[in-house]
Amino acid sequence: MIQITTSDRYNITAARSLMTSLGAFAAGLLVISIIFLAAGVNPLFAISEIFLGSFGSAYGFKETVTKAIPLILIGAGLTLAFRAKFWNIGAEGQLLMGAIFATWTAQTFGEALPSVLIVPLVFGAGFLGGALWGIIPAILKIKYAINEVITTLMLNYICAEILTMLIVGPWKGKTRFGFPGTDNLPESVILGVIPGSRIHYATLILAVVSAAVLTVVIYKTRFGYEARVVGENPDAGKYAGIDFLKTSLILMAISGGLAGFAGVGEVAGIHHYLGYPASVSSGYGFTAIIVAWLAKLNPLYAIFSGLVFAGIVVGGDAIQISLGLPAATVQIVNGILLIFLIMGDYFLHHKVHIRFGKTN
Amino acid sequence: MKTKLFAVALFFTFVFSFMLISAGVPDAAAEKKLKAGFIYVGPVGDYGWSHAHDMGKKYAEEKFPWLETVIVESVAESDSMRIIDRLIQQQKCDVVFTTSFGYMDDTVKAGKKYPDNILMHCSGFKRSANVGTYFGDLYQMYYLNGLMAGALTKTNKIGYVAAFPIPELIRHINAYALGVKAANPKASVDVKWIYAWYGPDKAKEAAEALIAEGCDALAFTEDTPAVIEVGQDHSEKGKQIYTFSHYSAMQPYGEDSVVSGQYMDWGGIYATILENIYNGTWTSKNMEDKDILWLAKEKAAILGGTPTDPVNPKFVPALKAAMIDSPEFGKISAYDLVMKRYEQMKQGREVFEPFTGPIKDNKGNLKIKAGEKASIGDLMSIMYYVDGVNGNIPQ
Repeated sequence: MIQITTSDRYNITAARSLMTSLGAFAAGLLVISIIFLAAGVNPLFAISEIFLGSFGSAYGFKETVTKAIPLILIGAGLTLAFRAKFWNIGAEGQLLMGAIFATWTAQTFGEALPSVLIVPLVFGAGFLGGALWGIIPAILKIKYAINEVITTLMLNYICAEILTMLIVGPWKGKTRFGFPGTDNLPESVILGVIPGSRIHYATLILAVVSAAVLTVVIYKTRFGYEARVVGENPDAGKYAGIDFLKTSLILMAISGGLAGFAGVGEVAGIHHYLGYPASVSSGYGFTAIIVAWLAKLNPLYAIFSGLVFAGIVVGGDAIQISLGLPAATVQIVNGILLIFLIMGDYFLHHKVHIRFGKTN
Repeated sequence: MKTKLFAVALFFTFVFSFMLISAGVPDAAAEKKLKAGFIYVGPVGDYGWSHAHDMGKKYAEEKFPWLETVIVESVAESDSMRIIDRLIQQQKCDVVFTTSFGYMDDTVKAGKKYPDNILMHCSGFKRSANVGTYFGDLYQMYYLNGLMAGALTKTNKIGYVAAFPIPELIRHINAYALGVKAANPKASVDVKWIYAWYGPDKAKEAAEALIAEGCDALAFTEDTPAVIEVGQDHSEKGKQIYTFSHYSAMQPYGEDSVVSGQYMDWGGIYATILENIYNGTWTSKNMEDKDILWLAKEKAAILGGTPTDPVNPKFVPALKAAMIDSPEFGKISAYDLVMKRYEQMKQGREVFEPFTGPIKDNKGNLKIKAGEKASIGDLMSIMYYVDGVNGNIPQ
């Protein structure tokens, strides 16, 4: 007989945490290998192609960083919201609203102002847009006890429709021959990139700085403390006189605002115009939820988990392009890796004892 | 013991798979090769747009031994630049085909970035020294479908489930409506927009809504047979709904509902483009004026819901019985009129063009003067409904 029992683990060190993650990663790769074998592809070759395509080559790494920018920004913001147990599923909409505000600002003032003025203004507008879209569910939750999972999720669709309405209607560009989409943003707004890549460095710096500042906010400020109390022990929070509305408004303004920054980065750094929601963001607002969890709700770690996840997505291209497997394989591989990483968390917090032998 | 066994087994599977793979690598031919990358917006199994492009790619691949291809499916429009980069930098593609309108800006940017490569963008209007455009359009087939819908309808209400309000769709809706009017001046076309290329759920809902409003003939632009399945469902239950297959051979999804359809064969287009590039006629210096548009004349646009039957045999008797007063042919059956027009279209736009004036928009303004034919440029940017379409284009 085999007996399996579990007990809680309390002495969680950084080293153990790292080892668990690596172990989970390796176990995930093993399962993925079986899938590659079944598809008739050599797993070692496949995995090396994925790695080369994401971190192991200059080309792949540049793309990974490009993709990581919005994930880090949004993921860091979500760690704050999730710490306060505010389940913000609406980052995609907050990103799009940021993109809308940024586009309006760029098209209205971009011609008249130099880059040094207009770029910060556009980022400010993007933050404002994302923040406004973020505080709506905060008000609804605290004032009227409406579940934020529903409101944030639904606001995504509303924002996508508003964006679509703008680009097929009043904002449709003259240079687009009847097709939806705004004209290109003025040159002064277009963000610089690291030569030979698509890394819009202003947003990258902003992402890293935001994650770092947010870490200080969460662990070192009164507001961060209050946000954590709201999440972990709301009763104690009430007793201590924490203003739930104020705390929720601020944290959702930050979480939404960072998603808004990501929207600015995509529009001013990558696409240079506002098109359909699907051509502004490839679901970054949803992907970043996983990024925040992988970061164990620590904004600083979101920098790394954002990079790792971007690497998984970008490396996934290799599955199709180099190995010739269908696109669905990419989703399967990514899904398996995530499940194992999240399962690893269980083994980090629990000891599992397996005893062999007879039981009488 | 068990783990050892597993390790050994794993080792052997690795070795075995290495052997499999090395056995699969063909001997490198010494002759000149051309490598082409294809970027698809949907899965190749979507049974619509991406599927049709992939069929075209396969045709060219079989025809040319020197051609090597790589495909990437389900590429989000916001990710196209990354995929183009990878196809050119890592896969060393000489030519990249980007097959969705939303890839346009990235394709043009990639053209600047890779001046020695050739990029071909499908359905767009921006070109440069090394970026060409190509398209195969179905508006003529929609006209023929409209003739049939107009002849068969009992309610005089015709429906259209449409993806996005862009000129391509407006052109197709208009051509369909012109066909309907030519067969049946009392009938008009209602349009429902679903804002998705791939959205079987929304397409079903829109089709049901149109049927509920009284429409009994439906054409559509969406990449699945969803509308046909709705039509088949109603037809099986005794309420005949006529549908028109879109882009692939969808008739098998609705033998009792699909009258005909539009079918695109990209094979010839891809073969022509690739051959021109391979033999050096088209280079990365002279693509500025390479704007291919293939229609019925080039046998790119084909009538029918299957590759074999232009009209579902089930509906041929009804179409032969429906008589139409044609200004050109006098009293003629709907079936004969469709076939005559189809033959004319195969001869070229100069022989028959659905967009021949007088054509008014649905507000009564004259858009194309009597006797004039719309230019290709006008058709490619058309943004008004012709008389016979109800409602307004979403703004």
